[in-house]
Amino acid sequence: MRFLKYGIAVAALAAASLSLNAAAASDDPVADRKAVMQSVGAAAGLGGGMLKGQIEYTPAAGKAAISTMNAAAHTFGGLFPDGSDMADNSTAAPAIWDDRAGFDAELAKFAAATGAAAKASGKEGPADLDAFKAVFGPVLGTCKSCHEGFRVK
Amino acid sequence: MKRVLLGLVSLAAIAAVVAWVLSAPQTLSETALANLQPGDAVRGEQVFWAGGCASCHAAPGAKGEDKLRLVGGVKLESPFGDFIAPNISMSAPDGLANWSLEQFANAMLKGTSPDGQNYFPAFPYTSYTRMELQDVADLFAFMKTLPAVDGKAPDHEVGFPFNIRRAVGLWKVLFLKEGPVIAEPLTSETDLAVWQRGRYLVEGAGHCGECHTPRNPVGGLELASWLSAAKAPVGNGTIPDITASEKGIGSWSVEDIAYYLESGFTPDYDSVGGEMVSVQENMAKLPASDREAIAVYLKNIPHK
Repeated sequence: MRFLKYGIAVAALAAASLSLNAAAASDDPVADRKAVMQSVGAAAGLGGGMLKGQIEYTPAAGKAAISTMNAAAHTFGGLFPDGSDMADNSTAAPAIWDDRAGFDAELAKFAAATGAAAKASGKEGPADLDAFKAVFGPVLGTCKSCHEGFRVK
Repeated sequence: MKRVLLGLVSLAAIAAVVAWVLSAPQTLSETALANLQPGDAVRGEQVFWAGGCASCHAAPGAKGEDKLRLVGGVKLESPFGDFIAPNISMSAPDGLANWSLEQFANAMLKGTSPDGQNYFPAFPYTSYTRMELQDVADLFAFMKTLPAVDGKAPDHEVGFPFNIRRAVGLWKVLFLKEGPVIAEPLTSETDLAVWQRGRYLVEGAGHCGECHTPRNPVGGLELASWLSAAKAPVGNGTIPDITASEKGIGSWSVEDIAYYLESGFTPDYDSVGGEMVSVQENMAKLPASDREAIAVYLKNIPHK
């Protein structure tokens, strides 16, 4: 009986460590965060193109741009583990690790803007370009306030 | 032997006298100042944003209205030491409250302080020297409308021999030049008046070349490689090439450049980052015609 208890505890620990591994996603956080940031760039390109009138606005496209941003805002912060700052191909600034609270505050602004946009976009997406602009503009506004201090270049 | 020694000593003495004379801080001539009219503060606000004053002279990290509180404190790191931007608000104990327009103009255009010292060229007078005197007067009029904020910024952290201000006078003889860097646009189809306005903004008040042009070992700009990328003053980074070439922003249209300066987004929707954020936010406050002029000028700069 006691043995069984230990067995369960060990199994639980193993499961916990497995899920920890899952949370770390892959062995290459630099590649992961680049992939996420590229999706952000693509969403900005779609949304920005519609705001500039270069791409015709549709609610579905508006929703796609917002949802991509929202997904990134909620996952991005986990992709900067200790030790991933020295990679040659990373443009993440050392400030992310020196001032984690400041970085998290910028990410929180990003997530607040995307969360509000996701909520406003509803099932169909923002009905027209003005409605889209009202919620997507603030999302775009958070890009540079984070890049100012937390990205090299 | 004695004669040789005597010769050497007198040569050294002559060199010292020449160096002393050459290193004397320069000031504007009476004739240049004779026609100076009192400044217009409304026009001066445009000069203020074009000149990027707040990026260094507002408190580090200042945003919004706080950019108009010119208390100083931003640190500029360089291979020669760390320079700390001073208080240039209208504070009487710590700022410019008691300066005359003439003193301000000598600082901006000649790099010379009211007490006759050479400023370190971290203060980009090598670019500001290309500004019109009347623009400097307008700028001063605008700065007088801004809040007086007491507080002295920390001293520069610059070691010997770079801390010898007199020696900066010799540096100025070599590198403080008033004339334009680029004589004419690449193509004759360019609207010359627009291009010249762009040149005035980029080469003068905007002082773009101070970061985007490489420097020689003594810190002078290598004008032959104008805007063709530079090594970051500290660390391993590179400040981008902004010439109209493959290596620079040759693939950007005039509209792309103007939109970037207005919104902070590149043509592929990457956002502006680092120190350029503050610069872009200054440029966003200029009239659209000025952003377009800057774009037209940059589209005419070859990579060298």
